Amino acid sequence: MIDLESGYILRPVNPLFIYFSLFCALLLNLLPIGNYGWVPDWLILCIVFWNIQQHRYVNVFTAFILGLMMDVHNSDLLGLHAFCYSLVAYVAVSWHRRIVALTVFSQALHLLPIFLLVSLFPVLVHWILSGSLYWSGLTAAIQALIEALLWPLANRILLAPQRRPRDVDHNRPL
Amino acid sequence: MLIDFRFKALDPIRNNVNWILRPLEYVMMMPRSLYEASSEYFTTRGTLDNENQTLKVRQAELSLLANQSEFLMVENQNLRELMSLQKQVPFKTLPVEILFNPSNPISQRIVINRGSEEGLKLGNPIANDAGILGQVVRLYDHSAEVSLLEDRDFAVPVQVARNGLRAAVFGSGRGNPLELRYLPVASDLEVGDILLTSGIDGVYPPGFAVAVISKIERNLDKNSSNVFCTPIAPVNRYRQALAFLYDPKIDAKAPSETNKAGASSTNTPGRRQTRARGMQ
Repeated sequence: MIDLESGYILRPVNPLFIYFSLFCALLLNLLPIGNYGWVPDWLILCIVFWNIQQHRYVNVFTAFILGLMMDVHNSDLLGLHAFCYSLVAYVAVSWHRRIVALTVFSQALHLLPIFLLVSLFPVLVHWILSGSLYWSGLTAAIQALIEALLWPLANRILLAPQRRPRDVDHNRPL
Repeated sequence: MLIDFRFKALDPIRNNVNWILRPLEYVMMMPRSLYEASSEYFTTRGTLDNENQTLKVRQAELSLLANQSEFLMVENQNLRELMSLQKQVPFKTLPVEILFNPSNPISQRIVINRGSEEGLKLGNPIANDAGILGQVVRLYDHSAEVSLLEDRDFAVPVQVARNGLRAAVFGSGRGNPLELRYLPVASDLEVGDILLTSGIDGVYPPGFAVAVISKIERNLDKNSSNVFCTPIAPVNRYRQALAFLYDPKIDAKAPSETNKAGASSTNTPGRRQTRARGMQ
């Protein structure tokens, strides 16, 4: 793939790094920070990133499994995160050509609706199932904003192993 | 989602995933534990001295009370026997540690480090030294999930400590104050009244503090009053709590012949649906 920022071709991705990063994101999500609405969901950041960049390795099914884990961890209804993670993974895969062509900051702007969907999905499902809307639950939108702000950082960290070294051999440019 | 919501049939899956996930959760709790351990290690001698002093005073007070309460308890049981009333059910306590509270925009829950292997049962109340925290709503082998008082439609039968008025405290969702529902305008309530568990439902042992009344709005035209309370036990301050292994059915009287005909067998006291309506 071409890194559109620098114009260089990226190195092939190491699948182990993908799974390692997903595992790290899962661990970060398990940190006992407390029940605050704004804590970013590292896992969805990672899932969206890899679905956009390498949808052959990370697909909707991976997202589903990881979502199931988050359901159990958060003691939510089984399938709540699983469904919204896989929904978002699908959206990310279908948008991946469009998103990759943009600059990092407009990528973040484009991904904001996706993150909003993930954050507000539990509140919406609760609304549908029990008939009462929790306005306080809508503060989860802050989480989506923070995730969008973290997107450039995620881009930098997760793409780092694939970026070419800076000292390009001028005798054999590629 | 619907399958889980309606039939609760997916518990095996949940159990298995939990079995994989729990070690990871323990690993991720290590930084926090390390931080806490180090900050405890570096507390100065002065603060420890102070703490020791207050604890000693507290212990003296408590042991005095305990001596007296044992005497009172024996007396009470004897009197109850004389009056042929039902005896107070003794119950065991199980020290538990609060592991973490999972993030959820709607409800507040905590996960504790004891489960069905340690004798915990569905519906057991959890309390700390100040008062009731909540109730076990989902059991795993070595951990359990506890629903807190402020969960929506979480009901606890209570009694006003001052005058013995009985009522029920309802949770009304995360971040909202608890409510005392179904009370007429003329009921004798004051701001600052302490609500104790009444023990009617057979889930909570009687006499434990639950909440304090913080605000009363009386609607004369609707003949109802909105009473708001705040829970007594702080949730996020301590890591330790107690689970009450309380089962009043052990000592319940056999139903008399007249009662037996009327009451249906499903409506036994001490058993109730522990999962509240709606998504938790």
